[in-house]
Amino acid sequence: MKKISKALLISSAVIAMTGCSASSGKTEQVMDAQKEFGCSTINVYNAGEYISESAIPDFEKAFNATVKYDVFESNEIMYTKLMGGSAYDVLVPSDYMIERLMSEGMLQKLNQEQLTNLDQISDDVIGMRNVFDPAGEYAVPYFWGSVGLVYNKNNVDPAVIEEKGWDILLDSTYAGRVYAYDSQRDMFMVALKALGYSMNTSDTDEINAAYEWLLSMNKAITPAYVTDEVIDGMINGNMDIAIMYSGDAAYVLTENEDMAWVEPKQGTNIWVDAMVIPSNSACPALANEFINFMVDYDQQYANSEEIGYSTPNKKAAEELSAGTYEGISAYSPRTGYEKDEVFHFNPEMTKKLSDLWTRVKMSIN
Amino acid sequence: MEHKNSTLNRLYYWLIIAFFYAPIIYVVIFSFNSSKSLTNFSGFSLRWYQKMFADRTIMESIWYTVACAVIATAVSTVIGTITAIGLSKSRRIIKEAVTQVNNLPMLNPDIVTAIGFMLFFTSLRIQTGFTTMVLAHIAFCIPYVMLSITPKLRTLDPNIAEAALDLGCTPLQALWKVIIPQIKEGIFSGALVAFSMSFDDFVISLFTTGPGINNISIYVYANVKRINPTINALSSIIVFVITAVLIIINVVPMIRERRKGKENEKNLKGALD
Repeated sequence: MKKISKALLISSAVIAMTGCSASSGKTEQVMDAQKEFGCSTINVYNAGEYISESAIPDFEKAFNATVKYDVFESNEIMYTKLMGGSAYDVLVPSDYMIERLMSEGMLQKLNQEQLTNLDQISDDVIGMRNVFDPAGEYAVPYFWGSVGLVYNKNNVDPAVIEEKGWDILLDSTYAGRVYAYDSQRDMFMVALKALGYSMNTSDTDEINAAYEWLLSMNKAITPAYVTDEVIDGMINGNMDIAIMYSGDAAYVLTENEDMAWVEPKQGTNIWVDAMVIPSNSACPALANEFINFMVDYDQQYANSEEIGYSTPNKKAAEELSAGTYEGISAYSPRTGYEKDEVFHFNPEMTKKLSDLWTRVKMSIN
Repeated sequence: MEHKNSTLNRLYYWLIIAFFYAPIIYVVIFSFNSSKSLTNFSGFSLRWYQKMFADRTIMESIWYTVACAVIATAVSTVIGTITAIGLSKSRRIIKEAVTQVNNLPMLNPDIVTAIGFMLFFTSLRIQTGFTTMVLAHIAFCIPYVMLSITPKLRTLDPNIAEAALDLGCTPLQALWKVIIPQIKEGIFSGALVAFSMSFDDFVISLFTTGPGINNISIYVYANVKRINPTINALSSIIVFVITAVLIIINVVPMIRERRKGKENEKNLKGALD
């Protein structure tokens, strides 16, 4: 036993040592965090596969700091970990989760004086942030996007899908050729929007109508409920229509030329993931610097180019949509469309919907 | 009739082997994919391995996984062995009671244990981190160690230990020189189970770890959102290491045996000549 462990230990130590950091080499040291703030380590908690390889090494170099970087699978897991007493300095949750954290007093106000790069964020994205953080006291946008339909141009007439929007999911012509998204929140959004209601409704009749809509969708097209398999599935052209997040769609469109993107005319969900500082942060000054560093043009450009989600940085977004993501409509989701909405946190609704959602999922078999 | 039976048997055997190993082979093959796809092989490349070795989070998670498994195995094996031996000499009621308590965590769903640990640490205001994760691992490994040692102890002849004491051993010597060597296999297999339980644990680790500390399972889970072959590369490396270790454990003693056998033969021949 001892021998095995030793062998494993040595091999992993060797691996750890050879693993070099992937700094972009552009950054210069601008500050010594320890001298300036009295602390030089921050814990950052972000979604998985959501940051460029160079960002952390660059920041560490620029501030002579250490970043302990953790990733979560969903906003809910992140919330549970916070409840368990984990102390982080920077979190990157979604809009509705930030709303929840704010309402529970778990966030601290940002230091606006340190956030010198905020003026680089486009007004459209600031508008989306204002929905959950009106004064911009707590959150700085990180990525944003929408939900829409990816379809195969050869098998689905673009004119038809533009015309029908979400209602194409009720068209039995496409039976067995559709990926639906296995998420209560996203599917009820689709149904409510298709019916012309608000996705944040708490009206029982509207919710029941949405439930009926989903049942008839199941009946008409018997969709495959998937989550992340949808990305590979659409790249390989396994299905003709899929409900997808814009950032994932952008990736699918770059990999498969037959695929196209449409944001249904009935309106959709616009979401923003933003950086916030929890109230129990041990090093908020450096956390503010990290947030400011991440919204800067260089980092946002690298981040967005590598991950494929849309950047809030105006200049980076303009350059990428004319460069790397030229012709990829999903990279630039529409803004300012009156029927699009940001999701709000509503615990009672979530509970109500979860019961109906179970029945929707059961009706498929 | 018999012949037909054996072909069927063989077919069945290979089917089972294929069922076990096909997914692993699939993962390994796609770790060499040149594109990001997990279902479409477009060419051979080592880019995902390169990416994996350059990724500090992955490297750290490997390190934490191994360190945690080694510490948890060592500590739980020692505690488990001592407890099992002590119990074998205890009164029946105590033995029964402790065995029941010991079996409970194994039957208890992991998620309950995990939440329990989290609430426990939180209520004591202990900041979760590497230490809390190791403590939790030690706790859930001990029952497995005890479970594999206890049957071995039951087969022991109590007179042997007594004889050792009669012949002048101190109690510690009797333990070290007489009891331990007899239950060696039990301890070894207990340690092996503990190591593998700790190495691939996800739920309990997720809830007991703190900022900046991930093990491989947590890392993989957090990254399934937008999965890419880096995860395959990581899994492949683990498979390679474990295969290599298993081969070494199994082959080295065989070679040693053979060498010993040959030497004996030589000695025998020498003596005869």
